[in-house]
Amino acid sequence: MVAAAVEQPPVITRQISALRTIRRGLDALYLWSAYLAAASMAMILVITMAQIFSRYAGINIRGLSDYAGYFMAASAFLAFPLALNRGAHVRIELLLGLMGRFRHCGEVIAFGISAAIASWFAYYACAMVYWSWKFGDISTGLDATPLWIPQCAMAFGAALFAVAAAGQFLQLLWTGAHTIAPSSSIE
Amino acid sequence: MESITILLVLLGLMFVLLGAGVWIGLSLMAVAAFAIDIFAGRPAGDSIATTIWSSSSSWMLTSLPMFIWMGDILLCTKLSEDLFRGLAPLMGRIPGGLLHTNVMGCTIFGSVSGSSAATLSTVAKMTIPELKKRNYPEPLIIGTLAGPATLGLMIPPSIIMVVYGVMTNESIAAINIAGVIPGLVLAGLFMAYIIVKTKTMRGYAPDVEPQVGLWEKFAAARRLIPVFVLLFVVIGSMFAGYATATESAAVGVAGAFFLAWWQGTLNWKSFSDSLMSATMASAMIALILAAASGLSLAMGFLGLPEALAQWVGSLHLTAFWLIMSLLLLYIVLGCFLDGISCVALTIAIIEPMVRQAGIDMIWFGIFVVLVVEMAQITPPVGFNLFVLQSMTGHDMFKIAWWAFPQFLIMAVMVFVLIAIPELATWLPKQMIPVRV
Repeated sequence: MVAAAVEQPPVITRQISALRTIRRGLDALYLWSAYLAAASMAMILVITMAQIFSRYAGINIRGLSDYAGYFMAASAFLAFPLALNRGAHVRIELLLGLMGRFRHCGEVIAFGISAAIASWFAYYACAMVYWSWKFGDISTGLDATPLWIPQCAMAFGAALFAVAAAGQFLQLLWTGAHTIAPSSSIE
Repeated sequence: MESITILLVLLGLMFVLLGAGVWIGLSLMAVAAFAIDIFAGRPAGDSIATTIWSSSSSWMLTSLPMFIWMGDILLCTKLSEDLFRGLAPLMGRIPGGLLHTNVMGCTIFGSVSGSSAATLSTVAKMTIPELKKRNYPEPLIIGTLAGPATLGLMIPPSIIMVVYGVMTNESIAAINIAGVIPGLVLAGLFMAYIIVKTKTMRGYAPDVEPQVGLWEKFAAARRLIPVFVLLFVVIGSMFAGYATATESAAVGVAGAFFLAWWQGTLNWKSFSDSLMSATMASAMIALILAAASGLSLAMGFLGLPEALAQWVGSLHLTAFWLIMSLLLLYIVLGCFLDGISCVALTIAIIEPMVRQAGIDMIWFGIFVVLVVEMAQITPPVGFNLFVLQSMTGHDMFKIAWWAFPQFLIMAVMVFVLIAIPELATWLPKQMIPVRV
C-alpha cells in the first residue's frame, strides 16, 4: 500500500509532463507554420514587384500571377492554427456570455463542433492532394505546376488547424479552460 | 416553395451554429457541407475542398494581404502623431475646432489602413487625450470618432471592398475607386454635423486654439505630404490603369516601407511585427472567404439564389423597396456580425436577386459598405464600440448612444446614394483599363 502510494504521483507527473512536452512541441509547430505563412506573404510582394518590373521592362515571365496565388493560399492556411490560438478568427460570443454558469457547457459544445468541422475539412484537403498527385493534375495556367505541390501547404495548414482546434477542445474538457487569447477585434 | 423551405432550414442551421459560438468560417463551411450532402445529395467533401483551393489560390485575392500589410507598416510609423500635429493648426479656428481632426484624421488614416478598428484605435489614441485636455465635451469627442472611423471601409484602399470584389467577381480596382466620392461626401456630412452641433449646443466652451499664421499652417501641414503622396500613387495608379489592384497594393507596401525607413522607424522588429499582424489579419479574412466560396458552391448546386431571385421578382418590388428591405436585413445582421462576415454570408445568396433587379453591382458594393459601416456602431456587436469601450472604459451602450447621430448621418447618406447613384458609379467609368 505504502509503496503504491509512493509510486502513484510520479506516474501522473510523468503523464502531465509528457502532455506538456506535446503541447510545447505543437505550439512551436503552430509558430513555425505561421512564420512560413508570413514568408509566403512576403513572397506575394516579391512576385508582384517582379511582375510590375517585368511588364515595364517588356520581359514576359510566365505564370507569375499563378505563383502569387499559390503563395496566397499558403499564407492563409499555414497561418490558421496560430490565428486560432491568438484569437484572430472571429466567432460570436454574445449568447455564450448570456449563459452564465452554463457557459462552460456551451463552450464545450462550440469547441467540439468546431474541431469536428475543421477535422472534416482537413481530411478532404489531404484527400485532394492525394488525388492531384495520383492523377498528376497540372495547373491550367501558364505555369504548368503539378498542383499537388502548392496544395500541400493548404492540406498541411488545414490539418494543423484541425489539430489546434482539437487541442483547444481537449484542453477545455480536461482543464476547464481554453488558451485562446481574447479576440483582438481585427477588421 | 420547396427551395424557400430549404433556404429557411439552412439559415436556421447557420444561426444555430453562429449563435453557439462556433467560429464563423467553420459555421459557413458546415452549412455548405450539409446543404450539398443532404439537400443536393452529392458527396460534399471533395467538391468543397476543390472549390476552397481554387478560390484561396486565386490571384485576385492577393491584393488583400498587401493592403493589410501596407496599413500595418504605417501603423508602426509616427504617422498618427504627424496627422494630429499637421491637422490641428488647420482646423483649430473653424467652428467645431479640433473635433474636425477626428473626422479628417479618420478620413486620411482610414484610407491608409483600409479597416475600421485599426483606424479608430490609431486616431483615438492621439486625439482623445488632446481633446480632453482642451475641454471638449466627451460625448462629442467619442461620437465623432466612432462614426468617421468607419470611413476606413469606404475610402480606398479598403479591405472589405476587396472581399466584395472577390465574391462578386467585379473589378476590385473599380469598387475601390467608386468609394472615393461617397467617402468624401460622407466625411463632409460628418463635418457639417460637427459645425451645426457645436454652434447650437449649450455649454459648449472648449479652449480656443491660438491664432496661427498662414505660414505656420503650411509648415505644419507639410507633415502630411508623404502620406498624401503615397495614397495618391496607390489610388492614382489603379485609376490611371498603370497597375492592377494587387500591383498598386504592392507599390503601397513598398512605399510604406520607404516612409518608415525615411522616418527612421523601420527596423527588424517593426518589419516582423507588421508582417506577422498582417498575416494574422489576412488569415482571419481568408478563412471566412474560403468558407464563403464553399457556401456559394452549395447555393449554386441547389439553385437557391435563383429561386430566391424569382420569388422576389414575383413580388414586383421596385428596386427602391428591395434596397430598403436589404438595408433592414443588413442593419439587423450588423448588430450581431462583423462587416466581412456580413458580406461573406449574404452576397452568395442575394447576388442573383440584386442583379436581376437591374441594380449596378458597383453601386451595390458601395451601398453594402455603407450599411456595414453603420453596423460597426450598432450594439450589441459593433467593432468600433468594442474598441472605444476598451480604450475609454465607458459602457458600450453609452458609446453607442453618443455615436447615434453618426448612425443617422450614415442613414441619410444611404438615401443620398439612392437619389444620386452617380456618386458611386461615375468615377469608376472614368478609369483607364490596365494595359497588360
